[in-house]
Amino acid sequence: MSVLDIKNIHIDFPTSKGVVHAVTDVTLSIEKGRRIGFIGESGSGKTTTALAAMRMLANPGFVAGGEVHLNSLDGDTNVLHLDDEQMRRVRLRKISYIPQGAMNSLNPVMRVDAQIWDAVVAHEGGLSQADLQARSDTALDGVGLDPKVVGRLFPHELSGGMKQRVCIAIGTCLTPDLIIADEPTSALDVITQRHVMQTLREMQEKIGAGLILIGHDMGLMAQSVDDIAVLKKGVLVEFGPVRKIIEDAEHPYTRELIASVPLVGGDSFLSAQASPPKGERLDKPLLELDGVSKQYGAVTALHPMSFALDGEEPKIISIVGQSGSGKSTMGSLMLGFNDPSAGQVRFKGDDINAMSAGAKLAFRKQVQAVFQDPYACFNPFYRVNHALKFPYENFGMGGDVQTAMEEACTAVGLDPSLVLGRYPHQLSGGQRQRLIVARALMLSPKLLIADEPVSMVDASLRATILANIHDLKDKHGISIIYITHDLATAYHVSDYVMVLYHGHVVEAGPPKEVIGDPQHAYTRLLIDSIPWPDLDRDWGDADDARAALDELARIGGTPETVYRGDIPGFTLGQG
Amino acid sequence: MGRIPLSYLLNRLFTLFLTVFIAATLIWIIPRLSPVNPVDVMLGRMASGGGSVENSGAILAQLTERFGLNDPWYVQFWLYIKNTLTFDFGISTASFPTPVASMIAAALPWTLGLMIVSLIITFIIGNLLGALMVWEHTPRLWKVAIPAAMVFTSIPPILSGLLLMYIFSSQLGWFPLNGAYGLNTEPGWSLDFAGSVLYHGFLPAMSIVVVTFGFWALGMRGLMITVQGEDYTILAKAKGLRKRYILYRYMIRNAILPQITAFALKIGMLVAGQVLVERIFAYNGMGKLLYDAILDQDFPVIQGVSFVIILMTAVAVFLVDLIYPFIDPRIRHGA
Repeated sequence: MSVLDIKNIHIDFPTSKGVVHAVTDVTLSIEKGRRIGFIGESGSGKTTTALAAMRMLANPGFVAGGEVHLNSLDGDTNVLHLDDEQMRRVRLRKISYIPQGAMNSLNPVMRVDAQIWDAVVAHEGGLSQADLQARSDTALDGVGLDPKVVGRLFPHELSGGMKQRVCIAIGTCLTPDLIIADEPTSALDVITQRHVMQTLREMQEKIGAGLILIGHDMGLMAQSVDDIAVLKKGVLVEFGPVRKIIEDAEHPYTRELIASVPLVGGDSFLSAQASPPKGERLDKPLLELDGVSKQYGAVTALHPMSFALDGEEPKIISIVGQSGSGKSTMGSLMLGFNDPSAGQVRFKGDDINAMSAGAKLAFRKQVQAVFQDPYACFNPFYRVNHALKFPYENFGMGGDVQTAMEEACTAVGLDPSLVLGRYPHQLSGGQRQRLIVARALMLSPKLLIADEPVSMVDASLRATILANIHDLKDKHGISIIYITHDLATAYHVSDYVMVLYHGHVVEAGPPKEVIGDPQHAYTRLLIDSIPWPDLDRDWGDADDARAALDELARIGGTPETVYRGDIPGFTLGQG
Repeated sequence: MGRIPLSYLLNRLFTLFLTVFIAATLIWIIPRLSPVNPVDVMLGRMASGGGSVENSGAILAQLTERFGLNDPWYVQFWLYIKNTLTFDFGISTASFPTPVASMIAAALPWTLGLMIVSLIITFIIGNLLGALMVWEHTPRLWKVAIPAAMVFTSIPPILSGLLLMYIFSSQLGWFPLNGAYGLNTEPGWSLDFAGSVLYHGFLPAMSIVVVTFGFWALGMRGLMITVQGEDYTILAKAKGLRKRYILYRYMIRNAILPQITAFALKIGMLVAGQVLVERIFAYNGMGKLLYDAILDQDFPVIQGVSFVIILMTAVAVFLVDLIYPFIDPRIRHGA
């Protein structure tokens, strides 16, 4: 029996530049107890279609045509005909929503249990305090959180994964017919992602609700849903059982989406290259960490570590790990944004924290950075040319700025006439991130430090941007430190991989060994937690995910580094 | 959350004391940089009464001695600090020999009453209107009317006071023109007197409310727009909560937090900020006292009033520091 029938729905957004047809003629049914994945790039209308069923479209969007039938309603089942009060009573009780922003989806000034109580009270009226307490205890218990502890906490005292499980507890506490989960794990690392996703599946199966999972990760879809609906620019291009879609997609766009997922051991998305140009030969290593550690108060973010990278033959060194593993701390130490608590960071033999102002300027020119958030990297009041031009002129590069900008844009696959002269908000996230790479390239640096450069852009664009970054090594002779949580991309782009866990390097070596055939328990856990777009590869169930977390707790202490081989020009020290 | 740690309390108290001490020192230094000799001014005032003063040289010397102006600076400073901290601000030079402390004690309740009441009214009205400007369920008429009412914010308080006086006192005769209570009302704890005080305080309070609510409304509007886009507000709606509940518990409750800090800072500014309002309504508060003292170059009064203003600001900030962790659990004492 179907829970929700969407018939020929059209959704429009009137803007100053005319009406945008966000969703065009989409028809879909969601069966009870079944999981449907809505997949597509940002702007494909996947969230808009799902939110139309809750009548929660962002302003100024509206349903321009079609019907949405919630079959458990009495009488007229079309939710578009309900008045505001009737619609309010449908939300959460019949259709619940689990939001994307795990970090910010709970009211910061209310305790966790109070945020379950207000939902219950809004639909069931006044209950005694004891009844409410029992309800929130059951709800939190169901998602594997200790109600005695977690219920009394404020949201900021929870981790991202815990917050998202609280959202699942809220979303399931009134046993709705349908759950809409909007990229519920996009902000979480793979190990937490698996746990949260398995918890959601477990709860959904228990209450027998339908589930719409919105996302852009084909691997996550393959491991989580029964059917997949592929949307492109507001049009449903393909719909079918997950196995059919993954293994035998009909629409070229679907095949493109599947192909854009980089796989460990799969085909490389990088074009084969002739040998890269040699960098200059130096007496001292290009970058050297000598017993560097970092402490924040009582917390050790990075345990003492040493390595040396000579710049003669450019290389890509990947640093992988979960959030909190210390990988971004390493990045900021190497950029000199943070002083190490002990040890020295040396660039061409000079301690970067003891440089003269002039030497520091030269260091800044030669070491460039690419950060995670392509939205926050531009000053919104200036055209993007400013961001490209300013450092170029400031470092006295000489030569024609305009030519340099155009060359740099072309090098990262952008058409200069389409991006130069525009404001940041007029460009897509992918375009902005490529401009950041272009900006770095214009200064002909020796070293690029890229901290999660592709985690915020659409999956289909990641491969392209990483190829641009890879080109910096192959065509321009720049060495790169690639910081990421994504093992599959690290597998393809890097020459050497270091796996970081609680500030320790637990496994290091060439990617074919470290990621292709992991030896350390933590690396294995990371690899196992990756959702594969392959139905024959089991992601495990909720118990496996919990067992994995227990194993993670056991790894703690001072793990030994597993060395998996060396490459010329890079040496990882002991401790 | 929970109890306030003692170390935090001591730390804050020390900061409070230090702030007040430094401010008191500045108040002592600044008038001494002025070329005007207050004893000359006093003598000049006597002379303007009787034409000339006999033995003026002797009187000058005597007064200088009497005010301790012959002592070395550190003795003067030590006496000043000791007296100030015990709220002994000396004797007024303009209303000689009235003690400054008693002048402030007489004026302070009027100002605190008028200003705190009008500040609280403004805070509530301003923030509520600011919130309604953003809320999606606000009636359309209100959404048009509130921004239009902001016009009043651009009027200087002195003009709004005159305007209100003209309409409600002079033309309609609903409210008295000036004073803090009726001439034939005996001050005391009586219903009659309380009524008279409210009656007289209404127009000055209104003239402040009308011109300052926009400050709160515009600030609140910006904060509400941010909160409206937050995921927790969207989730609140998806939870099927009632719209008023979302407005109060999810939106205003979060948006108001920075406004509370602003409120504390405003308390200290109360006295200084509305000097002209008290002046045109002939309302005998701190503002008028300060205004007259500046005209008369009455240094002890200026020093006393300034000290009270600083003390009020410092204490208000101290209190907000203490209560903030209770209204925003993300802030912790001592963190």
